[in-house]
Amino acid sequence: MKKGKVLLGVFLGIVVAVGLFFVNKYWVTPATTEVANASGNFPQAPEFSLTSLSGEKINLQDYRGKVVLLDFWATWCGPCRIEIPGFVQLQNKYGSQGLAIIGVSMDDGPEPVRQFYQTFHMNYPVAMGTDRLGELYGGILGLPTSFLIGRDGRIYAKHVGLTDPSVFEAEIKELLAAPPDKAVTDFRTVGYTATRDIQTSTPEEVNSVVPGVDVSKLNPEELKEFEKLLSQQKCTCGCGLTVLKCRQVDSSCQASLQQARADYAKFVESHQG
Amino acid sequence: MRNLILKRVFKQRALYGLASAFVALGVAGAAFGVGGPKVVSTRAFLATDAAHPGQTARLAVLAQIEPGYHINDHKPSLDYLIPTKIEFDASPAFKVESVVYPHGRPMKFDFLDAPISVYEGEVRLGSLLKIGSSAKPGSYALRGKFTYQACNDYACLPPTSAPVEALVRVVPSSVPLKPANSEIFRTAKMK
Repeated sequence: MKKGKVLLGVFLGIVVAVGLFFVNKYWVTPATTEVANASGNFPQAPEFSLTSLSGEKINLQDYRGKVVLLDFWATWCGPCRIEIPGFVQLQNKYGSQGLAIIGVSMDDGPEPVRQFYQTFHMNYPVAMGTDRLGELYGGILGLPTSFLIGRDGRIYAKHVGLTDPSVFEAEIKELLAAPPDKAVTDFRTVGYTATRDIQTSTPEEVNSVVPGVDVSKLNPEELKEFEKLLSQQKCTCGCGLTVLKCRQVDSSCQASLQQARADYAKFVESHQG
Repeated sequence: MRNLILKRVFKQRALYGLASAFVALGVAGAAFGVGGPKVVSTRAFLATDAAHPGQTARLAVLAQIEPGYHINDHKPSLDYLIPTKIEFDASPAFKVESVVYPHGRPMKFDFLDAPISVYEGEVRLGSLLKIGSSAKPGSYALRGKFTYQACNDYACLPPTSAPVEALVRVVPSSVPLKPANSEIFRTAKMK
């Protein structure tokens, strides 16, 4: 009886070990590494100009040739705070090889950020973010959100949420190894927090009276007519607003964006041929 | 701390699901700085079907938090956390005398060394409304906002607020009041 129990235990142990092997091989591993964008069509990082907490200008353009980790964060965000020491270490380790980390704080004011900067011995520039910057980078849905920009100025990875430093390190090493001004077509993103779909906006889309739709090609009369058209239609997202109003108060509403863009295409076709 | 995070390898699929929900919610809501995704909705109830001029009426506000999210306690455990609070618009018919917030639940997160006090699921706040002694019979709108900052296990949403609305019906003192929403008021603390 006792021997039977021992044999059963050994058998179950083997089953569990084999099971774990296959889980590791086919379940965990594929979830952590994948080609970020099968088409290799990585969007160009929108240009921006900010002033750091210490008063220096941060122009993204000046960072061309470097690998940039652009981190949107806030002092009130626990997961953001835990990522910072990892970024400090990465900057120390890879700064001389061409890594430049830029922190963009979404706090309401700079005071808590200054305090945090000192306490956490941050060694990379931090600037106060704006809604417009967030919109240029496709809308920041939550914090932390980090973008990895290659030496050629393209966004290769976007991570939403707490991400292990090893994930960033693996991706940074991959991008640092690439020659400047050359796209990394076989870039492999790492980690479960990576989002496959990296969307950005142009300044024309962000500054538009119909946010998300570049109306700069319309003349003033056409623009007025187009606005009227959108203000006569209900948004299908359930907000109860017109498409125009919904675009203006909630620029991340996908329903109104799709409606407005479809209407714009039709409008341009009928008015400008 | 890094090891703690690495230990979560086997949670990745579950977290990925949460991530998807987070993004989906965000897309349906709003991006950073333009309102913020809504993960809390509120309902307000009075303890009676109406109120008399000069009376102190009991009000309960129920805030429902989306599963998977938590919001900070009214008295957060850490000074950098944004507290949950409720604010009411001024009204000529009544005045909010007090608001009682429940204690949060201590929760441990991988990214923090000690548990923090948060609200999850449903939060019940109690409030006392002093009806003006000169308030004329009629219906008065009570409006306010429930301000919160939500996070899930791995990311945070921007601070935002949910509207709080209720209709306060003032009737003459000669009209008897009937108890209402007794189930809610059994658990909502008023003091």
